[in-house]
Amino acid sequence: MRRLTISSLLVAAIAVAALCARDATAADSLVPHDAAAWDAKALISRACSKCHGFTGVSISPLFPILAAQQASYIEMELQLFRLRDRSDPHARAFMWGIARALTDDQIRALAQYFSSQPAVSGRVSSNAALAQKGKLIYEGGVPERDILACLPCHGPNAQGIHTFPRLAGQHRDYLSTQLQQFRSNGRESEIMQHFISNITDDEIAAVTEYLASK
Amino acid sequence: MARDHHESRSDVRSAAVSLLRVGAVATFLLSAAALMLVSTPAQAVPPFARQTGLACEACHTVPPELTPFGRRFKLNGYTLTTRPPLVSDTDDHKKNTLWLSDLPGLGVLFQATYNHYDRAPPDSAVPGAKSQSENLEFPQQFSLIAGGAITDQIGGFLQMTYDQPSGTFGVDNTDLRYSDHTQNNDFVWGVLFNNNPGNQDVWNSVAAYPTLDFSNQSLWSAGGAGGAGLTSAFFEGLGGLTAGPTAYIWYKDSFYLGISEYHAAVSGSGTSTLDSTNLSAGGGALQGWAPYWRAAYERDWGYNSASVGVSGMYSRFTPALIAGQTLDPGFINRYLDISYDWQYQYIGQHNIFSFLGRYTREKADHDPGLVPTYYSNRSDNFDQWNVTGTYFYNRHYGALVNFVHASGTPDPAILGGNGSPGYQYEVLELDYLPWLNFRFILQYNIYNVVKNNQNPFILLNATNPQASNNNTFVFGLWMDF
Repeated sequence: MRRLTISSLLVAAIAVAALCARDATAADSLVPHDAAAWDAKALISRACSKCHGFTGVSISPLFPILAAQQASYIEMELQLFRLRDRSDPHARAFMWGIARALTDDQIRALAQYFSSQPAVSGRVSSNAALAQKGKLIYEGGVPERDILACLPCHGPNAQGIHTFPRLAGQHRDYLSTQLQQFRSNGRESEIMQHFISNITDDEIAAVTEYLASK
Repeated sequence: MARDHHESRSDVRSAAVSLLRVGAVATFLLSAAALMLVSTPAQAVPPFARQTGLACEACHTVPPELTPFGRRFKLNGYTLTTRPPLVSDTDDHKKNTLWLSDLPGLGVLFQATYNHYDRAPPDSAVPGAKSQSENLEFPQQFSLIAGGAITDQIGGFLQMTYDQPSGTFGVDNTDLRYSDHTQNNDFVWGVLFNNNPGNQDVWNSVAAYPTLDFSNQSLWSAGGAGGAGLTSAFFEGLGGLTAGPTAYIWYKDSFYLGISEYHAAVSGSGTSTLDSTNLSAGGGALQGWAPYWRAAYERDWGYNSASVGVSGMYSRFTPALIAGQTLDPGFINRYLDISYDWQYQYIGQHNIFSFLGRYTREKADHDPGLVPTYYSNRSDNFDQWNVTGTYFYNRHYGALVNFVHASGTPDPAILGGNGSPGYQYEVLELDYLPWLNFRFILQYNIYNVVKNNQNPFILLNATNPQASNNNTFVFGLWMDF
């Protein structure tokens, strides 16, 4: 019983300490806000960080890593979300709602913030042979089936170029899902559809293994 | 809780006599059942959709089952939003001292059913008489919901429900929580208060947060049938009868650990720690603090999400069995409940499949002063399997199968006959959702085994009541807005 009471007090103490840490003192004004009032920091704290992390490094592979992503790409995608012009299932479910009221200034600020975060290095591949096969596809494509190389658009180190996104170090599951979406036109992109419409599941496994380990 | 059900002997007359003799038990059972009925799981929550701007499918496969994102929204304290506050007081250091949403976080949940029983159930007031074999409940339940961000790190969910079968109106679910996370998101942590052990969970495989919308609408919930009701683990019946704090952590988007302690809550005439006359009128009360714990592991990949977990609770409880007894000192039963659960979800673009369930084991130690009058044994075990599979196509058309099997130590003083608490039933359901917040269901409940006084038809056929008499057809409507 004593043990239970002590742990109850501990739970309560943690809650009180956390609230006190907010450092609230006497109020002196009422500040009406409009939709554009939040800066990138507030948006990241209240929304983005819940899935993508404060520094753009998500833990769950359901959500992409945004750290060091190309600013132009983030900006373009947020605008597509806002316009509802990107309609893969996750875009519909999550980002249409999140981006619906963002202003151009907020979109630019968010893109700048995440692109300036330090990149994370990829995980060590547990299947070197598969990663090597993926490297060959990334750099040379599969010409006999009209699958073009990724390198010219995404860069020699998969760091991305302008509106072509950084792929290095991204969650493998996330990359795999996106490639499947492009292949089935679940995520609209004429370029990606044209270049990878014949890609097989084995080739997706290889190239994503390589990119996740970059 | 249902282990405390107590009823008839070998024929209708003795059943009525027995009911009178242990009238306090029956009153306790009805009171507890009424409170349990208004303790409904949280459904899809319109205020959260308004706050976040997110579609229902962000947080739910099909309401109320949560997606991986829905779990994170709850773990983060319901605070996610891109809407700036309407007003924000600031102090000299430009820190917020008041945060008010520009939208009132209100919603309505409405549920109606038409029930048709395979056989007219017994009348609860007149021994030997039959009731009607069908009824229409419009509404069956009607809830007012308030939820959402209160400050930038505190959020909540409150639900008040009118329950037509019991005719009661109560606050069935409360959940107020503070949450924060580390810079790199490795740790999400929080503290919360709620009034329903397990309802703070984020996986629908636990009993207090089930995936079923129309949780077995049968005689048990139609009211007045006179049966003892199906036995369930003690800790599944504490919603609304208790309240307490929880501290939790969520590590690396994979590991969850939550520790809670619950105390008896003063709730109408059902439970009171202040007045022993309430105890004699029905209900019963937890003694001291009851610890509840929960650990789980989740892995997400591609369109898949899988989890395994364990939850448990240790409770000391004074049942309202003896009129005029006092709470201190009182007769104290001790319950140790442990439940192992799992959940697998495939959330594809068109096809959604879930397979989830739990195995629960209870060890009940009865106060020696209550044995053998109210319990045959000093110690009883109870085991239950509950397995559910669901499939939805395009979130419009769906089917559900639920299988439940229970067994345990025979205790004739609780359930009469040979005392076995065994039962087995299946729920088959078809769903049509023209919109995600508007759902039609066709449901058929099939009872294979319902032993002893758990079967209300023992009042009509004392020697050989049929489990299948309880089979029920349900047509239901559910909506929230």
